[in-house]
Amino acid sequence: MARVGVFICHCGENIARTVDCARVAEYAATLPGVAHAVDYRYMCSDPGQRLIETAIREHGLTGVVVASCSPHMHEVTFRRTVARAGLNPFLCEMANIREQCSWVHEDREAATAKACELVRLMVEKVKWNTALEPIHVPVTRKALVIGGGIAGIQAALDIANGGREVILVEKGPSIGGHMAQLSETFPTLDCSQCIMTPRMVEVKNHPNITLYTYAEVEKVDGYIGNFAVTIRKKARCVDEALCTGCGECQSKCPQGKLKTSVIPNEFDLGLSRRPAIYVPFPQAVPNVPVIDKEHCRYFQDGKCGVCQKVCPAKAVDFTQTDQVVTEQVGAIVVATGYDVMSSGEYGEYGGGRYPDVIDGLQFERLLSASGPTGGEVKRPSDGKVPETVVFIACAGSRDRSHGVPYCSKICCMYTAKHAMLYKHKVHHGQAYVFYMDIRAGGKNYDEFVRRAIEEEGAVYLRGRVSRLYQKDGQLIVKGADTLSGQPVEIAADLVVLATAIQARPGSDALAQMLKVPYDGYGFLSEAHPKLRPVETNSAGVYLAGACQAPKDIPETVAQASAAASKVLGLFSMEQMEREPTVSVVNERTCIGCFDCERVCPFGAIEHREIRDRRGNLLKVVSHVNEGVCAGCGACATTCRSGSIELRGYTDEQVFAQIAAVGV
Amino acid sequence: MMSDTFEPKIVAFVCNWCTYTGADLAGTSRMQYPANVRIIKLPCTGRISPLFIMKALEQGADGVLVSGCHPGDCHYTAGNYHARRKYTIFREMLHFLGVEPERLFFSWVSAAEGRKWADLVAEVTDTVRRLGPRRSAWGEPVEGIAAPRLSANPVPFEAPAGTFAAQAEAMREKAKALLAGGEVGTVIGYEQGTLPGTARPAFVSTPEEVDRLVWNEHCHQNLAVYAARKPAKPGKVALVVKPCDERSLVGLLQENRLAREDVVLIGMACHGVQSEGALAPRCAACQTRTPALADPVIGEATPPTATADPRLEQIARIEQMAPAERWNFWQGHFSRCLKCYACRAACSLCTCERCLAEKAQPRWIPAPPDGAGNLSWHAVRAWHLAGRCVDCGACSAACPADIPLYLLNLKLAQVVKDAFDYEAGRDPAAAPPLTTYREDDAQEFIR
Repeated sequence: MARVGVFICHCGENIARTVDCARVAEYAATLPGVAHAVDYRYMCSDPGQRLIETAIREHGLTGVVVASCSPHMHEVTFRRTVARAGLNPFLCEMANIREQCSWVHEDREAATAKACELVRLMVEKVKWNTALEPIHVPVTRKALVIGGGIAGIQAALDIANGGREVILVEKGPSIGGHMAQLSETFPTLDCSQCIMTPRMVEVKNHPNITLYTYAEVEKVDGYIGNFAVTIRKKARCVDEALCTGCGECQSKCPQGKLKTSVIPNEFDLGLSRRPAIYVPFPQAVPNVPVIDKEHCRYFQDGKCGVCQKVCPAKAVDFTQTDQVVTEQVGAIVVATGYDVMSSGEYGEYGGGRYPDVIDGLQFERLLSASGPTGGEVKRPSDGKVPETVVFIACAGSRDRSHGVPYCSKICCMYTAKHAMLYKHKVHHGQAYVFYMDIRAGGKNYDEFVRRAIEEEGAVYLRGRVSRLYQKDGQLIVKGADTLSGQPVEIAADLVVLATAIQARPGSDALAQMLKVPYDGYGFLSEAHPKLRPVETNSAGVYLAGACQAPKDIPETVAQASAAASKVLGLFSMEQMEREPTVSVVNERTCIGCFDCERVCPFGAIEHREIRDRRGNLLKVVSHVNEGVCAGCGACATTCRSGSIELRGYTDEQVFAQIAAVGV
Repeated sequence: MMSDTFEPKIVAFVCNWCTYTGADLAGTSRMQYPANVRIIKLPCTGRISPLFIMKALEQGADGVLVSGCHPGDCHYTAGNYHARRKYTIFREMLHFLGVEPERLFFSWVSAAEGRKWADLVAEVTDTVRRLGPRRSAWGEPVEGIAAPRLSANPVPFEAPAGTFAAQAEAMREKAKALLAGGEVGTVIGYEQGTLPGTARPAFVSTPEEVDRLVWNEHCHQNLAVYAARKPAKPGKVALVVKPCDERSLVGLLQENRLAREDVVLIGMACHGVQSEGALAPRCAACQTRTPALADPVIGEATPPTATADPRLEQIARIEQMAPAERWNFWQGHFSRCLKCYACRAACSLCTCERCLAEKAQPRWIPAPPDGAGNLSWHAVRAWHLAGRCVDCGACSAACPADIPLYLLNLKLAQVVKDAFDYEAGRDPAAAPPLTTYREDDAQEFIR
């Protein structure tokens, strides 16, 4: 038999002004199953809480209803109160007679009558409450970071410096990402590689970081605190342990002869060529070459093998095969970054047809001291130093018809930087910038753009380019300056398109593997756009950098550190405690249609085999992984046979309340 | 409530994260609104089962309000999208059963919309107060209103001469081969019924028995009902299926009730079946005359003649009725229900091991075969078949009380088709419509 205690709070005058609390208590005492009912001035005060504790002990209460403010205000308070008196905290419910009664009704009679009913609803509910124990999930205190750009590097270093082990997986042969390709960074113009490479080396040398380069995450099983990750280490054909990074192999590779090589250098975005055995860039980490089997003569026709012969460390091993390793981790940080839309996708601006129409990242390489031109600005077609350069912003961004509707966020800033750096390198040159709007929000950002215009003489034209064609070795750019209302025609030597930032190809497949939602453009979705910007709806998976949306370096680093702090927070305990209000399956009546699995946004539904004592499979039923379930209850609603209950919000509890309304 | 005016009882099911917090905000902002609403808080609209709405009406609520996060704002990503699909269908079903649409309210109220919540409660209370008390209890007819009767004009049955005999012969040959070769242990087909002009399911497990099997215009039963059941004899089962029966199998495949290789399908090209001397109404407009999944297809189908489905006209007539007439129409039919559950037993998609009707704790469906129990049973049955029913007609044929269950099922199939462009039993790889959603699903009915 239920022995419910009802505690009516006056909240000073807040409730008592419109609700006759004594009458509510009197009424509550008449309800079946109520063993004790009392009103008090401030139930959340120390004496108020002691009143509840004493009553629980004295009256042997099996459930408590506190009629006071919103549970969003004091549910935690009163659950702790009842727990102190030895009652399970989930046997406490709150009737909201302040926010949803006394504060919204003026008629004392009506408000008192409603308060009585709200109490009755909760008394009926609490009779069906059951004691729930928090769910403890063991946590493997080791993190996986996917992607070795600045986001992944920052997250990995922060976690590692926090004393936890990290596995950093990078798809390419070296970490560094796009930031290693950049010349100088806005708005301070510090050299990107100068600030990047020390961090890359730190990753390599950090005792807590295991670095897998030229590797990909192939499979993710498990859940928060308990992921099993399968990683494929692709065959480099060079033994990392033996290689000294002397570079002899690449200099002797016959495919690498400067004049004859046909292999585009990815790091220079096709603006230079590379050998078949190569280190992507001189500061690569690890400084170990990799053999590009598609272009290697040994792999193509079995001849050659020069690299193996010249290697003084005997590190070249053509027989190496892919290795698959499985790692146990407790949290995953996704930092897979972005790609820029190729200028080739923007045909009307001559992208892909005219060699001197390039994208912003290619221009970074032309500006970079380690780039194909050694830092001299020379145009790709004939190596001439361009005297007029046109920069076109929003090439693909904010363009529903050709590109993507979103703003790529970094282009306004890097275009200003490009115009400025170009001017620094070619003093007599003239930069023109076609733009739609200048979005330079950020510390010292607008000042930077003003500097490009006012001090470095970049001519900013507000308008779109309507036509671009080649004539007499130059590119004729026709557009409009919408501020003066005049048509503009510029004969340029080089055109740089600030093409849109896009999600990495394959980011959708990765998102599916991690059960993280993603938008229509392949960017991964955060759990809440404002309050949970680095978490995802897949518990234990966090986001860092441009895989979530276009962002610049400071923002990326900030988000990576935020993700790292979330991981370290999770790793601060050996066991993670979760709310027990999760779903539970009645395996006896479940028929295994798995409609619940289809509606579960969290991938919490697992398949469980039911076997008889001889091991014969009887049926396969749903099973809720309590470590993953977030307690939304969509499964319970979808289950036709009523075989799933959401603890804390069971059908019984809801029915009891519905029935109590009808009394 | 001491005034003379009618004070309705309104149950509001709200999600914890948006609407409950929005209602709290209305309180902290001291916005005044009527005291008629009783909030029942759940974590998410995804948890607010449409059957809670039914339960509230059953328990005497005068109006029901459901509210949660705006699309895109769900704390759990997609709960409100799933809920929206469910409400779309359930709401139409309640309307079709004669519940006044003005008593049901759906709204998205965010945690910032205290004003919207206060205004909404005021409007809901005002609307329901003006409607007055419900004219009858759940499952009771409205007094003084006659229930209109419906009948459909029979469509004459025609099949090309000799086709049935030839098909029957080929079917028996195939069945013999399957049994003789040991490929299957049981063939489930049809045999002559007790009365002339009838057929009944037959289970044969030896080649000799095969001669009992018949194929004719009386073979209306959907044998897919046996597909997901464990056969009495060892070995696989072969089923004789019409194209419509085959759609049940698509549903069973979608719901993991069996795997395609578990069953052999002897597909019969179909000329329609007979019902009371005429073409069964569901066959009149049927466009699918050739099985698509079956292993062999036996015979060739007559190209479908373009006939209107006479049942659609019946549905249109029900929709034209006033809500009270519609209510009484259904109460009249449901009053004959014996709760024998023959409809459930005949349904190839009612595959639960323990039906919700038998769940005693809590009691979803009042057990007695009375007004409330019968209405809730038929509402739950139709709801559970929404987006799943393949219109095989087995439930209506099995009903000893002649309740036109097909009207309810067909109506919901129409709603599903219109709202989600989905037809049950067509594509085994398709996600069932109530387990998926589109962000741009229609939501005109949600404020």
